[in-house]
Amino acid sequence: MRIAAAPGVRAEDRPTPAVPNYGIDSDRLLDRDSLPAALRRRWDGRYAVDEFGGDPHLQDFLVAPVVGRLPARTVGAEHLPATGGALLVANFGVGLLEPLLVAGAVQRAVDRRLRLVGLPTVPGLGALTHKLGGVGRRPGDVAAVLRAGHLAAVPLGRTLSPRTAGEAPRLVIGATLGFPVLPVAVRPSGPVGLPVGGWVVAVGPPCRPPDGTATDDPLAAAELAEDVRRAVAAMLRGESGHP
Amino acid sequence: MRVLVTGMGGHLGTRVAQLLEARDDVEAVAGFDIVPPRRRLGRSVFKRIDPRDRDRLVEFVRDFAPTAVAHFGVYEPAARMGIRAARVASEECTVTALGAAARAGALECVAVRSGIEVYGRGGRRPEVPDEHAPLGPTTPYGRTCLDVEAHAAGLARRHDVPVASLRFAPISGSRAPSPVGRLLRLPAVPVPALADPPFQLLHTDDAAWAMVAALDRRAQGPFNVVGPGAASPWQAVRLGGRVPVPVAGPGWLLANQFAELAGSPVPPHVLELVRRGRVADGGRAVDELGLVGLVPTQEVLADLFAWASVTPLPGAGRPAVVATPGSS
Repeated sequence: MRIAAAPGVRAEDRPTPAVPNYGIDSDRLLDRDSLPAALRRRWDGRYAVDEFGGDPHLQDFLVAPVVGRLPARTVGAEHLPATGGALLVANFGVGLLEPLLVAGAVQRAVDRRLRLVGLPTVPGLGALTHKLGGVGRRPGDVAAVLRAGHLAAVPLGRTLSPRTAGEAPRLVIGATLGFPVLPVAVRPSGPVGLPVGGWVVAVGPPCRPPDGTATDDPLAAAELAEDVRRAVAAMLRGESGHP
Repeated sequence: MRVLVTGMGGHLGTRVAQLLEARDDVEAVAGFDIVPPRRRLGRSVFKRIDPRDRDRLVEFVRDFAPTAVAHFGVYEPAARMGIRAARVASEECTVTALGAAARAGALECVAVRSGIEVYGRGGRRPEVPDEHAPLGPTTPYGRTCLDVEAHAAGLARRHDVPVASLRFAPISGSRAPSPVGRLLRLPAVPVPALADPPFQLLHTDDAAWAMVAALDRRAQGPFNVVGPGAASPWQAVRLGGRVPVPVAGPGWLLANQFAELAGSPVPPHVLELVRRGRVADGGRAVDELGLVGLVPTQEVLADLFAWASVTPLPGAGRPAVVATPGSS
């Protein structure tokens, strides 16, 4: 280890440390092992976990094939960043359908894994959801995920109707101020809200606070949260001018 | 810079003394500890003083009049002493040595050893705390670290010197005695049956480097210093080719006893690491202390397991006694 020249290196200039992950990228999906090779790797312990308890090797094996096959069409995939941290804010209905559809869209568009915020944390089950890509609900934990350069999806408040957007996660958006926030709407593609022929995952352009905003400005966070909620609501209604 | 290294007898303290000796801007290095240094030192002055012997310690520190203090006199339980003894020794060493250094009048900066144990685990605590997270230690070592930080912060206020608290991830390496390393190197290791929480380790050399960097930059405030990436109990145990023994609930009491009988006492903070994980966000130390290229957690683990049980000394010839049954 060496001491770098200047103090106060900005996060984006910092060289990414080469974490030995036994050839497994902790952010980007790679080719999968064959089943015997994967079992061998699990037996030998030659896989790594990340700070958030995620297990990229297990995710690629169990989650990626499932979410990759969900019937969904992605609109506005060009807004998804190929590198770096970003927060995806999506509407949330009953069950886990919406987060999984968003994960599938991200996987198809940019080949990256998505960390899901707010999965259930029952003892035993919590350990499994963490391994498969869930992260804690606390704002500080979500901020840590973004600082580490990953994509995280946080749900709007749960609603029963698939056409309305729930309350925005104001605290999480406040803690992650400075990172791009992408509004994401998941809507059934058929008429009158029926998933005939699958779903549409619409990704909007990133919302940002006005230039010069301090990273601990609660008012800016609240305004940004409202902007994002409105963008999701507009995309859910399928308004013109929105993807 | 005239640097006082407390806890110089430990592996970390000795390593820091070696790094400081090699620098031209360091005028003198002096240190003390309960035990003598573990490696060869050059121009450093070492004195064997028990921190509980206050008068001798105060006299030694006052005569040296340090301008910087590298405080490694924070003893981890079960590394080389028990929980109670470690707590008392840490407390005495912190209060007496830092106080005497401040009163000697030349003090310009201080860096203390702490641990990410100060954040505690569970409850409403964040899973990956950064330096702003509330401090709520849940283990005796965590509380010791919190006390040390509090004493150091008080000193910073009263004497107006910058104090850096280096919150290290559990320090482990192939040669330093560490309770977590000892546990993972048992032939069969207890692991939680229903969980597999992530934990991070820090290489001993990196801990020493971080201390030198903090003094060099006159850093102020807390810094999490962790090895990038993470490991989990099941993975770590298999990586070392050990047998994982799933344990749940009251079974931990039994597992604890067995581990102690096998030569690896498991203090509460190590038990917590295995059962609830131990991670922190180390971004600030990388940015502000310039700690680029810390050894990743997985490499620390690999280093730990690559350590041969018996290292043959070159040139030592055949061992004098060959008394293993079965060998002719």
